[in-house]
Amino acid sequence: MIGFDYLGIAVLLLFLGLLIGFAAFGHRWPMVLRSIRGFDELNTAIERAVEAGERVHLSLGTGSVIGSDSAPALAGLAMLSRVATATTMSDKPVVVTAGDGAMALLAQDTLRAAYERAKASERFQPISGRMLGPTPFSYVASLPILISTEGVSVHLLAGSFGAEGALAADFGEHQEAFVLAGTDDAQSQALLYATAEYPLIGEEVFAGGAYLKVGPFHLASLRTQDMVRVLIVALILIGTILSTLGVSL
Amino acid sequence: MRVRTSLIWAAAAVIAGFFVLLGYFVDHQVINNLRLVLIRWAVLLAAVALFLGLFNLLSVHWSKVSEQVTGWPYSAVLILAFLVTLILGMVFGPDNQVSLGLFKYIQLPVEASLMALLTVSLAVAGFRLVSRRRDLFSLVFVGTALLVLLGTGPWLTGGESSFYILVGQVRNWLVQVWASGGARGIVLGVALGAVLTGLRILLAVDRPYGD
Repeated sequence: MIGFDYLGIAVLLLFLGLLIGFAAFGHRWPMVLRSIRGFDELNTAIERAVEAGERVHLSLGTGSVIGSDSAPALAGLAMLSRVATATTMSDKPVVVTAGDGAMALLAQDTLRAAYERAKASERFQPISGRMLGPTPFSYVASLPILISTEGVSVHLLAGSFGAEGALAADFGEHQEAFVLAGTDDAQSQALLYATAEYPLIGEEVFAGGAYLKVGPFHLASLRTQDMVRVLIVALILIGTILSTLGVSL
Repeated sequence: MRVRTSLIWAAAAVIAGFFVLLGYFVDHQVINNLRLVLIRWAVLLAAVALFLGLFNLLSVHWSKVSEQVTGWPYSAVLILAFLVTLILGMVFGPDNQVSLGLFKYIQLPVEASLMALLTVSLAVAGFRLVSRRRDLFSLVFVGTALLVLLGTGPWLTGGESSFYILVGQVRNWLVQVWASGGARGIVLGVALGAVLTGLRILLAVDRPYGD
């Protein structure tokens, strides 16, 4: 006997259809991205760091690849592919850190691919992708030394963080670095709002690929998110009205 | 040849991801078993990756010590602590009092100190936020944080005054109506973003395992 979750399959197909549809035909309707201060100023900050011979650091957080908290770090890896390309020719190329061994390996692979695309494979150093510490606080305890000794002037946090994320952002602020920070946890976002100069709120951490022009599928993702969000809000409103009128479904 | 190799990785990732996802929507013995096998493989691979991550950690700090770069003594301490912990763990076992003592008397106090540092950092960050990013949202943020703190913690004047009760009620209203409503909106947005990030990897559009 085979059981099907028809609603789940329908929702999945809706997501897939919208994503592929917008990626294929989205260029017919030009898209205007709203201004996010952090992403607006990120390219300038990276260019300044490259010219000054300073380091860009991207933290993928303390989540694991196989955990439910991997999504923001995977979005961070999409950002990394663009950031790595921008710093390929710098004396101090981007360094990526994670609290999970598998995530550090993915960071190394992403970096290797970015260097190959830039025809600079010989400049790739495997230790540019590092695991700092397997627990949240051992990870964050290693950050101040890394930030000060590596001369980090652009400190990006895109991954899963708990309360330790606030410390991670604060260490960058103490170094007077450009600190752009986003995560998936709502409470940690509140902490990052206070500590980081450029906090990413809500799902903005997932929009990094679209803002950094990683590819058409990233723009399509944003359109799909907005479309499904409107649908969900409409359903919530309809449900509220029906419930107020005493109609039970 | 290089292209073919990357295609193999992409195909393996897509097929594995497809069957794991299918297991959530289709209730069939074969698919469920396959999903469980794939997840177990992933857990095993993650454990191996942890080992590689630790090796990577050691090699980074070893190169810092050997090249005597700035801050190398910290790296030397890390390598020493790593080796001591590893040797003690291998000799006495992970459940021995010696191994547990390392966590109880070194790691836990250090992590608790960092947690304490966090509270100070947040207080300073609150003041910095108001002085540096002086816009409406920041003022609302800090004002709300102060109200919630006042409404949550005990007062020196005691908890009998009507003003204390009023602040407590305002705090509850803020937390239960505005904060939980906002948090649900954020969680909804994060969920949508997470789903689409997963789908991009499932479609092999994003390939963090290399191009």
